[in-house]
Amino acid sequence: MAQTKLQDELNRAQYEPMLPIENKLVGWSLGIGIVLLVALALLNHFVPATF
Amino acid sequence: MSETTVNEFRPQRADAVTSPISEDWLAVVLGLAIFVLALAALVNVDLIGWVVTTTVWTNLGQALKATSKDFSSLSGAGALVATYVALLVVLSAGAVALKANVKRFALAFTAVFWIAYASWVIGNYANFAAVTPAEQQKFGISWSLKLTNEGGYIFALIAGLIIANFFPRFAEAVREAVRPELYIKVAIVILGGVFAVTAASKLGFASSLLLRGVAAIVEAYLIYWAVVYYVARRWFGFNREWAAPLASGISICGVSAAIAVGGAIRARPVVPVLVSSLVVIFAVVEVLILPFIAQAFLAHQPLVAGAWMGLAVKTDGAAVAAGGITESLILAKNAAEGVNYQTGWILGTATTIKVFIDIFIGIWAFVLGYIWTNHIDVKRDGDKARPSEIWQRFPKFIIGFVITFAVGLFLALGTPADIAKKVPAAIGEANTFRVIFFILTFFSIGVLSNFKTLWQEGFGKLAAVYLLSLFGFVIWVGLLISWIFFGGITPPLAS
Repeated sequence: MAQTKLQDELNRAQYEPMLPIENKLVGWSLGIGIVLLVALALLNHFVPATF
Repeated sequence: MSETTVNEFRPQRADAVTSPISEDWLAVVLGLAIFVLALAALVNVDLIGWVVTTTVWTNLGQALKATSKDFSSLSGAGALVATYVALLVVLSAGAVALKANVKRFALAFTAVFWIAYASWVIGNYANFAAVTPAEQQKFGISWSLKLTNEGGYIFALIAGLIIANFFPRFAEAVREAVRPELYIKVAIVILGGVFAVTAASKLGFASSLLLRGVAAIVEAYLIYWAVVYYVARRWFGFNREWAAPLASGISICGVSAAIAVGGAIRARPVVPVLVSSLVVIFAVVEVLILPFIAQAFLAHQPLVAGAWMGLAVKTDGAAVAAGGITESLILAKNAAEGVNYQTGWILGTATTIKVFIDIFIGIWAFVLGYIWTNHIDVKRDGDKARPSEIWQRFPKFIIGFVITFAVGLFLALGTPADIAKKVPAAIGEANTFRVIFFILTFFSIGVLSNFKTLWQEGFGKLAAVYLLSLFGFVIWVGLLISWIFFGGITPPLAS
């Protein structure tokens, strides 16, 4: 089996600037995630888990 | 300096690609088979009561016994040998299905089983495992580490770590049977039925636990992933091919997510493989540290601790394993204070959270694959992400978990009382196998964790992203979210 050096693999990886779509992906993920978590936390507050 | 190579890591095997059945489906088959055999006890046919179980001991001769009284004529050693032979035969058949080298597997499994189980037995020694003053008095001992019998998992993990780091040739020799992902998936399938029996007594909480699983999905996919991806790209300069699998491995589910997302964005196979090797090592560090932190600071918030393990520890094996250790440590601490909680709730919470996160791996991989193949890395040959990839990347063992959970719940709640009362004992026999697969998982995770890997050239940058993300963000956000959704809720007291 071919032996692949980690250092070689990382060296081969060239710098790539963030594209607008990546910024959108990160921003929308965080935004939707925070909104959903707040909504779920409120739901959790009004419908608390009990045994 | 020695070189870090893909060959050294191999977290995903070549046979996973070429075999007619995946490890996921094999886990479903094995887990369901054990579950069905155990259920024969409902019609008074005890098929697996011979499986070996271990009790806390000071006299080794009394440490082992068969699980069922129906097999009380079988000695502890006899039960152990019977368990070994049964697992050897069944798992060797599984190795055939996976197109592994059966002879090599059988030899390796023999070593894995005996070393792992011996470690477990040592962990059950009274000075390590006895919890309450009454137990210490019973065994005539003046001190104990109070790890409970499940502290034996830690002994199995340490045994694996010793082999990986001091006997690397032996670790390589037994590699064919070192399959933590397979073992933990079998255990999780069985755990579905075990958790159903626990949940049946408190169905209201079990259903609200599912609601809280949604919060875990949101956290892992939308919060963790976005932050880790940004950190890897902006702060550490990784390109997209490395950053996406790395973010997935750190934030979602270690090995599975890194490989699924790596495939979805059409990364070269070497990338998720190298990322996975890092995930496994850090997962071990988490398993060795977080449960003890949870015991120290969250002993009175047991379900926060369970959810935290499911959210913060990566890879299925390590997360569920950490849930098991956390449960034993926290129950032990509370028992020493005179509070005896029902078993199963902390582990059940950790497992449910982890399973919920796993469910969406395929969907998330497809979303990223769609963005990559349509907007970032558009190929002229028309290689686009397809919806069918969601199913291809879906972790199939979850189907087994859902089936055993549903069947267990039906049997506990929907059958006549004379049958329902036999369900806990029947599934309890399957649970003994679940414990053994946990032991094999712990040992296997240890054997795969050669810490020398961390010192290899080039690994520091990957590890730095992991360290910063995990210990600077993932763990603490996981704790906060666990506290918000599980704070103040305690398991029922044992009757």
